Amino acid sequence: MTLQAATWRQRSPAFFAWRRFQANRGALVAGVVLGVITLMAVAAPLITKTGPNAQDFLITSLAPPSAEFWFGIDDLGRDFFTRIVYGARVSLTIGFAAAFFSILIGIPLGALAGYYEGRADWVIMRVIEIFSVVPPLLAAMLLGALTQGGFLTIVAIAALFGWVQVCLLVRAQVKAFKEKEFVRAAQALGASPGYIIRRHLIPNAISPIIVGFVLAIPLAMMLEASLSFLGIGVPPPTPSWGQMINTGMSFMYFYWHMAVFPTAALAITVLATTLFGDGLRDALDPTMKGR
Amino acid sequence: MTGFILRRLLSITVTFFIVSLLIFLAMHSIPGGPFDGGDMPMPEAVRATLMERYGLDQPLYVQYAKYMWGVLHLDFGIPFQSPGETVLELIGRAWVPSLVLGGLGVLIGAPLGILLGMAAALNRNSWIDYLASAFATLGLTIPVFVTSMGLILIFAVWLNWFPASGWPEPEKWVLPIAAYATIPLATYARYTRSAMLDTLNRPFVTVLRAKGLSERRIIFQHVLRNAALPMVTVFLPMFIGTATGSIFVEAMFRVPGMGAYFVSSIRTRDYPLEMALMLMLTVMFCLAYLISDILYAWLNPRIRFGGRKG
Repeated sequence: MTLQAATWRQRSPAFFAWRRFQANRGALVAGVVLGVITLMAVAAPLITKTGPNAQDFLITSLAPPSAEFWFGIDDLGRDFFTRIVYGARVSLTIGFAAAFFSILIGIPLGALAGYYEGRADWVIMRVIEIFSVVPPLLAAMLLGALTQGGFLTIVAIAALFGWVQVCLLVRAQVKAFKEKEFVRAAQALGASPGYIIRRHLIPNAISPIIVGFVLAIPLAMMLEASLSFLGIGVPPPTPSWGQMINTGMSFMYFYWHMAVFPTAALAITVLATTLFGDGLRDALDPTMKGR
Repeated sequence: MTGFILRRLLSITVTFFIVSLLIFLAMHSIPGGPFDGGDMPMPEAVRATLMERYGLDQPLYVQYAKYMWGVLHLDFGIPFQSPGETVLELIGRAWVPSLVLGGLGVLIGAPLGILLGMAAALNRNSWIDYLASAFATLGLTIPVFVTSMGLILIFAVWLNWFPASGWPEPEKWVLPIAAYATIPLATYARYTRSAMLDTLNRPFVTVLRAKGLSERRIIFQHVLRNAALPMVTVFLPMFIGTATGSIFVEAMFRVPGMGAYFVSSIRTRDYPLEMALMLMLTVMFCLAYLISDILYAWLNPRIRFGGRKG
């Protein structure tokens, strides 16, 4: 019996997570799509003819898509394919940056609330309660209008509303783990609360943190697009899909490409990121499936 | 139960004042004001008179106290952008298109979503299940202005079936209602599917089958009733949530409703209108959650609030 057991290969949790993720075809495809979009954003200068703001084709402004200009030319004489690709850069950068700051705020607050409970928990939960009754988009609009938009402001606003989810996930995980024997043992050995949180509780919350991180990305991208659509997000000429959709609205009857491509780009990117995140969640924690 | 409701009402009141203070500070925190000119420069004396007239020359805490005192008497002030009426009159006029379009969107979307979710749960892993999942994911992830754009491009620009924008004529309602309906449709398709599947796996369903009850009666009399609980609780918050969507849907379809005023009140620094709209939405959201919780407890005899502190 023991001999047989020894011949079994030890598999890591990551291996099983990867196996579950692979079985989810939709998430796999979404991951590949997201990877391609990210690659295109990173390699933007290599795959485009001009800079995103170069008005090199003014004579052929609003030209429809052709073999040379895949997505056509926009109203200001810029290659639209270039604009869309650079738009991915803006969208993804804001998404990742906002998600990063979300977990940066969410992890310590979640750990604090989950570990100490009592007063710290009460205060943090009341703050979250206020965040949950104010519709994030409206509050973001107010803040966006007040600060006149801008790249960093959008990241800050998205993080301000993104940390809540991460905080709740971490709090639940910390609460569940802090009564376990190994934490009790660490406490008995004289480990400080800060050490236990850093060394034991946060590493055990890594799956929800990864999931919270990935799922915060599409939310931030949507927020950026929505604010830019209303003209209080990323200011022109920085290429932003939300902004392009707004411009496209005025041209859609005669120059359909101005509306179709940014709409499709935004929809595909947000969808791929969400499906990838959902797949990751199901793979990392099968018990959370379908929530 | 009464204790629970009272405690929640108290917490809503506190939230209300905190939110009002935050919004007030945010509105006034950066330099500039509603009468700084911009398109229409005005002499300094005129500006000073206007500022005095609306009490904007007073210290902030006086302004806040005065405004909130008014709010407690249901006086939300006079909108700077249309001084001929009160804020309440303006809102009373503007919310009709929003409510008609948003309300019809929810009333059409929610039942369709429930049907789709039921069909998906009863035919697991069939084409209809995949269709429902696809709809749910699309509706929940893609921002509503992108959905609206897609609808306009397909049905107005390409097929030319419906007009793309405008308000009073009913044929112009079709596309905005469809845009609104995607959110409740997606939400309900997902909730109904998971709630039905949860319930179908419970032992009591097996018992019902074993005692020979027809599948139809099991589904409609037992499973649906048990699965309906989470569906009831998401309804009100989702309904109020259409207010957020209205900003984008109304901008997309050029409807003169609440959403349009929201944007313009923020852009022109129309403090009284902005404050009134934000506060009303906050209260509506708070009440929606409270009513949902009460309904949940009332419909579900297994849950009673108040005994233990949650």
